[in-house]
Amino acid sequence: MLALVPLAWRSLTARRVRTLLTVIGIALGVGMLYASLATSLGIEQAVDRTVLEMIGRADLRVAAFEEQGLSEASVAAIRATPGVALAAPSLERRLYVRRAGGGTAAGPVTVLGIDPVLNPQVHDMPLVNGSAITSAGEPSALITERLAREDGYGIGSELTLQAAGEPMKIKIVGIVAGDGPINGAAGRTVIVAIGLAHKVFAATGVTRVDIRVVDGTSPTTVTAALTSRLTADPYVLSTPPDLEASLRATTADFQATLAMIAAVSLFVGAFLVFNTLSLTVIERSREVGLLRAAGATRLQVLWYVMSGAMVLGVLGSLLGLGTGAALGSLVGMGVQATGAAPYEQPRLSAETVAIAAWIGLFVTLVAALEPAWRATRITAIESLRLRIDPGSARRARLRWLVVIFVSVGAVGLLAWPRAAGDLMALRSLAVYGLLLVATILSPLFIAPLARIVGLPFVVLMRLDERLARGSLSRDRSRTALTMGALSVGLAMIVAIGGVAQEARATATAWLANVIPGDEIATSIRPVGLGEPVTVALKAIPGVGSVTPIATFDIAFRGVRLDAAAVVGADFLSDNRLSFEEGSRSDALNGLDTGGSAILARSTADRLGLRVGSTMAFTGGAGKALNLRVAGIVERSIPGRSGETVLVGWTDATGFFGIDGADFFAVRYLPGRQASTQGAFEDAARSLALEPATLNRVQGAVTDALGRVFGLFDALALIAVLIAALGIVNTLSMSVLERVRELGILRATGMTGRQVARMVMVEAGILGLVGSVIGIGTGLAAGAMMMGLGTGFRIAFEPPWLIMGLAVALGFLVSMAAAYYPARLASRISIIRAVQFE
Amino acid sequence: MPTILQARDLTKLYQPGMTSVDALRGVSLDIQEGEFVALMGPSGSGKSTLLQLLGGLDQPSSGDVILAGQQISRLSEDQATRLRRSETGFVFQFFNLIPLLDVTENIGLPFRIAGQNPNKGELKTRIADVIDLVDLKGKERHKPDQLSAGEQQRVAVARALVTRPAILFADEPTGNLDYHTGLELLDALWASCHDRGQTVVLVTHDSKAAAYADRVLVMNDGRIHDQIVLGRRETHETGPLIARLAQLGL
Ligand SMILES: Nc1ncnc2c1ncn2[C@@H]1O[C@H](COP(=O)(O)OP(=O)(O)OP(=O)(O)O)[C@@H](O)[C@H]1O
Ligand SMILES: [Mg+2]
Repeated sequence: MLALVPLAWRSLTARRVRTLLTVIGIALGVGMLYASLATSLGIEQAVDRTVLEMIGRADLRVAAFEEQGLSEASVAAIRATPGVALAAPSLERRLYVRRAGGGTAAGPVTVLGIDPVLNPQVHDMPLVNGSAITSAGEPSALITERLAREDGYGIGSELTLQAAGEPMKIKIVGIVAGDGPINGAAGRTVIVAIGLAHKVFAATGVTRVDIRVVDGTSPTTVTAALTSRLTADPYVLSTPPDLEASLRATTADFQATLAMIAAVSLFVGAFLVFNTLSLTVIERSREVGLLRAAGATRLQVLWYVMSGAMVLGVLGSLLGLGTGAALGSLVGMGVQATGAAPYEQPRLSAETVAIAAWIGLFVTLVAALEPAWRATRITAIESLRLRIDPGSARRARLRWLVVIFVSVGAVGLLAWPRAAGDLMALRSLAVYGLLLVATILSPLFIAPLARIVGLPFVVLMRLDERLARGSLSRDRSRTALTMGALSVGLAMIVAIGGVAQEARATATAWLANVIPGDEIATSIRPVGLGEPVTVALKAIPGVGSVTPIATFDIAFRGVRLDAAAVVGADFLSDNRLSFEEGSRSDALNGLDTGGSAILARSTADRLGLRVGSTMAFTGGAGKALNLRVAGIVERSIPGRSGETVLVGWTDATGFFGIDGADFFAVRYLPGRQASTQGAFEDAARSLALEPATLNRVQGAVTDALGRVFGLFDALALIAVLIAALGIVNTLSMSVLERVRELGILRATGMTGRQVARMVMVEAGILGLVGSVIGIGTGLAAGAMMMGLGTGFRIAFEPPWLIMGLAVALGFLVSMAAAYYPARLASRISIIRAVQFE
Repeated sequence: MPTILQARDLTKLYQPGMTSVDALRGVSLDIQEGEFVALMGPSGSGKSTLLQLLGGLDQPSSGDVILAGQQISRLSEDQATRLRRSETGFVFQFFNLIPLLDVTENIGLPFRIAGQNPNKGELKTRIADVIDLVDLKGKERHKPDQLSAGEQQRVAVARALVTRPAILFADEPTGNLDYHTGLELLDALWASCHDRGQTVVLVTHDSKAAAYADRVLVMNDGRIHDQIVLGRRETHETGPLIARLAQLGL
């Protein structure tokens, strides 16, 4: 069975360039997969760690919304709530510590006051040294390893904490591993008993209460009970699943897109393997025929091809792990730089590494099956044929792509990031399926498209164009395979470009829709409405309106929301906001009279509120406010992490404690922008405001989006790179196959340069046809990516720039890929070509 | 008659790998304009090698070829290609045609390569003319795979002739054909030589084919072993040639 394996090895070494390129192609595909897995893992580990650090083993967390914290009454209410088994309060505040020997201040630390008995039941705090703290006896503290190292403390050292109360000398009894329990404290945390912390800060409130529910009780029931009891202070309630979900919500899209790009790269890599092995089988069919004539069995022939594939797969996958590790850290750096998702250097298990390698090998072998099977169909008579002509029986069968597609898809689903939900998986599959359909249908378009894109070449090089085009249409499925890989890569780039452009357009339109101004003047301190700033700005000739806006946080039913204080009348006269429900004028005027709120559609849906619903807010010290939902708008002013709840200034200052505006939206009189802008900006600066045009604000938003999509585009380039390797292989093969033909052309008087040019023209046409198909597919895929999940939106502005770039890229990549085959062609020996073998 | 082709002390050493083969060991010859010369000899005697050197497809290890007044060994690869394009025509045993192109396009190929449009004016007439000569009227639009082997070879001859080259080289053009088709091809070559004064150099194993020639050069072991002058004969009778070959022990 394995008798022919050494021959397979020889067949690989006989075409070193082809083998090398194929291995590189597999390596890039596997590398991309590995990088995607690693990045997803890095993101998930970061999310998991954040969740664990934040909540530990608690089932619920009630966090204070305001600085003074949750009152004793609230803590008592929590303890008394049915279903609450344990409620561990803690207090977290920052202060400066003095160095051990007295003397200079040594930077800020975070003081965490805990209940020494209850806290260990919800949070682990591994000690590297010393012992835990107790409430009784001498004041004692734990510090983090980092703080001990940075400030030179050890067990038994004394620490002086001074905040609101008397300076307090505390003895360090233990060192907590690493950076300690608080994320974002720069690793400098001092942990003391909560009673002690209250003394240090002369406070009574607690920052949060971590709750464990009674076994068998659902946290949801307890949540409901808590909501009805917690009426004294504003608070935010979170559960580990909530927290995880909110963290994951930001990462899901990112991970899904990354996974899809990896799947596409792998698919393109499989194209390459499939195409290369098909070519090799055609090229070796006479040899295989001879082997068959000499008595080789079909099984031996099968092994002959499969063992070659195995070598390619193993080498490619191994090289891919190296490539993937490098690529993975690049992507990781990209994720951190763009801030697209939380990320930490992933701890990769041997399993992840093995999965990537096995998938690479598996995909290679699946791609090899069809060529191998085709090789077994070669009969002994094949060896007697004079002409090597890819007969229809030996042509690469595009249908096999479906099998490869399904295999890669199945493998992709196995490795699908768990954070990216079913809808994302569906969307990616749909896009991925579209790419396949486009590839399978592309043979239909090759001939007509080649004729069209060949036109420019006709003018200059009629013969070259004719021969090149003919050679491309000779074996359409091979051309489709080669070009398909390129099209798929370019389609990804165009699709991502389309989505990016749409996202930017949406962001831009969003701001224009909700900001009643051409220019924004931002202040670093709240500007009170009583201050003369508004009046001063409005007095500038050419300025039409100036409206103050403040954004802030509010807590509603235990949920943190973004809110904005606005002057409703200004929005009314400037005709901003698109109302979906409620009367525009009533709602906006209602804001100014107080007691009303306007919600964005997404917020209303999330909270289950409608026009006429009442939102009940609790302030500190038993204050309460009811706001009636007066209107629902398509989009509202963007806040820190979502769209804002719009409230009037009366409620903002009276109840939510807002001192003044963060920014002013300024509208110029019609046609006066150019003449007024300079004067306005000078005036704004003299009032300590930072002016920025709406365009610039929009620019900052779209830049951030651009960076994330740029990362994706860069990754999609890898698919194009793999496709380029396929082009090199196919063109070289097509040159070798046409040795006789090229020999005749040379004997008839074609110079080496002319032959090379002909191959370049072939590549040029291939690249252009590939680009055209890729762009078409990419636009459809882009529409699909945007459409699925948000309702179909087929009509979007085509990303002209990216499309132009895709054409240029397709053309240039093909031309670059043609360099080697063209050189090969120009060096064909006429004599060898016309000799009978 | 003027000499159109001259070879002086041609040697060719092939060095495939470790071994080396003396394919030609000093060949000199002169071919006059309008002559029909046949090269015969046993397999491996160097006929094809000689033809390739004479036609500028390859460079000799030493010695000179002077074709239409130009010393081929002095030319660059591109210059040699251009000389080949304008002054020579080749017909090989196999694979003479580009499968993608039809008969007319295949014949017009040398013009295309030279950057001329073969569908216009004089070139168009010339193509029609050679199609006529090789008796392929009515098959202008056929692709090579729609032609018989003999017709394919005649297309190759037509293409070799269409540029009106100084000399036409044919390496066993009938080797792949049956008796009758072979004769048709030879008749076409003869017609070009006899009616139009085309110089022809034909490599063959077949005395029937060689009998069309004015002169037969017999090669052996890389040298011209003998020369048999037959003179121009309309009948192409093989008797005298076979008798001489028998004398030479071939
Ligand atoms: N490319 C090559 N490399 C090495 N040796 C070669 C090469 N081409 C020809 N030879 C050798 O040179 C010698 C002459 O070959 P050539 O093809 O000229 O013979 P021929 O007379 O045309 O034979 P045939 O009648 O079989 O066509 C032979 O020994 C052959 O093996
Ligand atoms: Mg020969």
